Amino acid sequence: MLNFLARRLAQIVPTLFFVSVLIFSLQQLLPGDPALVMAGEERDPAVIEQIRHQYRLDQPVPVQYAYWIKGVLVGDFGESLRNKMPVRELIAQKLPVTLQLGAMAIIIAFLIGIPAGIVAAVKKGTAWDYGANFFALWGISTPNFWLGIMLIFLFSIELGWLPASGYVPLSEDWRASLAATIMPAFVLGNAIAAILMRHTRSAMLQVLESDYVRTARAKGLSERSVILKHAMRNALTPIITLGALELGTLLSGAVLTEQIFSIPGFGKLIVDAVFNRDYAVVQGVVLVTATVYITLNLIADIAYILVNPRLRG
Amino acid sequence: MSPLIEIRDLRIRFHGDDGRITHAVDSVDLSVANGATLGLVGESGCGKSVTSLAIMGLLPKQTTEVTGAIRFDGFDLLKAADQTLRDLRGNRLAMIFQEPMTSLNPSFTIGDQIIETILRHRGGSRKSARERAIDLLRRVHIPSPERRIDEYPHKLSGGMRQRVMIAMALACDPQLLIADEPTTALDVTLQAQILELMRELKAASGAAIILITHDLGVVAEVCDEVAVMYAGEIVERAPVDELFSAPQHPYTVGLLGSIPRLDQRAEQLATIEGMVPNMAQPPAGCRFAARCPFVLEACTRAPPPLVDVSPGHVSRCIRAPLEILVS
Repeated sequence: MLNFLARRLAQIVPTLFFVSVLIFSLQQLLPGDPALVMAGEERDPAVIEQIRHQYRLDQPVPVQYAYWIKGVLVGDFGESLRNKMPVRELIAQKLPVTLQLGAMAIIIAFLIGIPAGIVAAVKKGTAWDYGANFFALWGISTPNFWLGIMLIFLFSIELGWLPASGYVPLSEDWRASLAATIMPAFVLGNAIAAILMRHTRSAMLQVLESDYVRTARAKGLSERSVILKHAMRNALTPIITLGALELGTLLSGAVLTEQIFSIPGFGKLIVDAVFNRDYAVVQGVVLVTATVYITLNLIADIAYILVNPRLRG
Repeated sequence: MSPLIEIRDLRIRFHGDDGRITHAVDSVDLSVANGATLGLVGESGCGKSVTSLAIMGLLPKQTTEVTGAIRFDGFDLLKAADQTLRDLRGNRLAMIFQEPMTSLNPSFTIGDQIIETILRHRGGSRKSARERAIDLLRRVHIPSPERRIDEYPHKLSGGMRQRVMIAMALACDPQLLIADEPTTALDVTLQAQILELMRELKAASGAAIILITHDLGVVAEVCDEVAVMYAGEIVERAPVDELFSAPQHPYTVGLLGSIPRLDQRAEQLATIEGMVPNMAQPPAGCRFAARCPFVLEACTRAPPPLVDVSPGHVSRCIRAPLEILVS
């Protein structure tokens, strides 16, 4: 286990290095000149030249990278080209918003997807099963933006129960915070719930046919114990990994969802940064996103080992 | 004395997805007395495992139709409520399965799995259940059971796992133990050990045993009485010595003839010619007729009844007794 952890952590270093190179290089391919953007209305060549020099844009790309990564390693992502705020501060401000949204989305996904999958498997071939499958198909094939708009229309405009947009931090007023994030979290979690449901269903169907489930029944255990203890424990092992991998989808899904609900999170930060050619922000946000994703994967692997005695060694 | 378990006219039908009905078991009559061991013999698919699953109430309800009666200690298992069956299973009725490698849950320690059975039926504290589990593991000769009890199944070999399965089956001192090919998946030296263990436990516990196998050698070693099944029917039932010395059904004769012997060289292994009939459309007459070397025209016309050939010995053959024919 410790051996595995050490190996896994060692893999992270080259991965992150590769990601950072990739982010930096791709950045160079974007059209537009950041110096021109920063100069704004002023087209004085001397000013532009001065900006180029100040931000080391006149240096070769590898040198620029070296300067950037040196800062990143000590937590300095540079500052926004647009509003001069340190990128680190922007990230510290926006990341918790998206993390809250993501956490709520994954909780919603698990709360809907897993029970629905279990019910569908246990009641295979009945109306319950068809119903769950129908909603899964619906969940997978409904676009985020459409569902978001429909929810706003229903709950904010027609019923007036929930705010249509905006964000309140959890620490400020948790009720208002939940009210503001529940719709976007549902929009994000919905598709994942559908995927989890289908995988839980097929894993459960397979496990329910297994010899050890027959053994559990032969012991005289109640159906409840057979399904919720003996079958579920084994069926959910792969689902945990799947759920953690789906967290990556959450991060990308957040881009669109935050736009629809005007939530000042990571997704909105990166979209605004790209439109403004705010290179430092884009680089910082993408690198942090990659790190979060890699960390989630590591957590998924550890969770998989913890629930699977055969791998614990 | 009335038998511990008595099966009367058991019929089991499977309803397939395509609407076809398979006659898995037909009019089976069996009984086992307290402390006796019955061998249920036949080739794969003859209905012996299905019969045992019917006793345990473990056949899928949606697709199976079970009729007849299975009387256990006075009441009919086929008419019993699910809750009553659950109270019996693992308690007074226990079963050992063919596949030790996959019959234990990989996510729980063997101790948890045995303790669970004890707590389910006996209650009491977890601590005392654990002590009993250790004791059971010791009875099935698992070395250092105090340590082994906390291990997961994947750490144990096939033979060890089958011992754990046996310990689990014995957890509540069952009156009837069904062993469905307990040694088939194990190699030969382990088979002998497991059989020895079963004999030992039988002597110690006094439980009745139904031993399902296709291995006549196993039957000869452990059983008091033998029932031979073919294509869902019992074709012969006899005390074990008599079955081996004077078989009265051509199928049994064929089975005994197909045991390879070390003291005789044979170019080819003896086999019974032909195939088992398709049980979606069972033949009108004797089900073994198509493969029987002694077949008469009458055999294919009507299903033969079970006839008594000697006390306690029945055969489903119109030509029984067979002495003259065999010699």
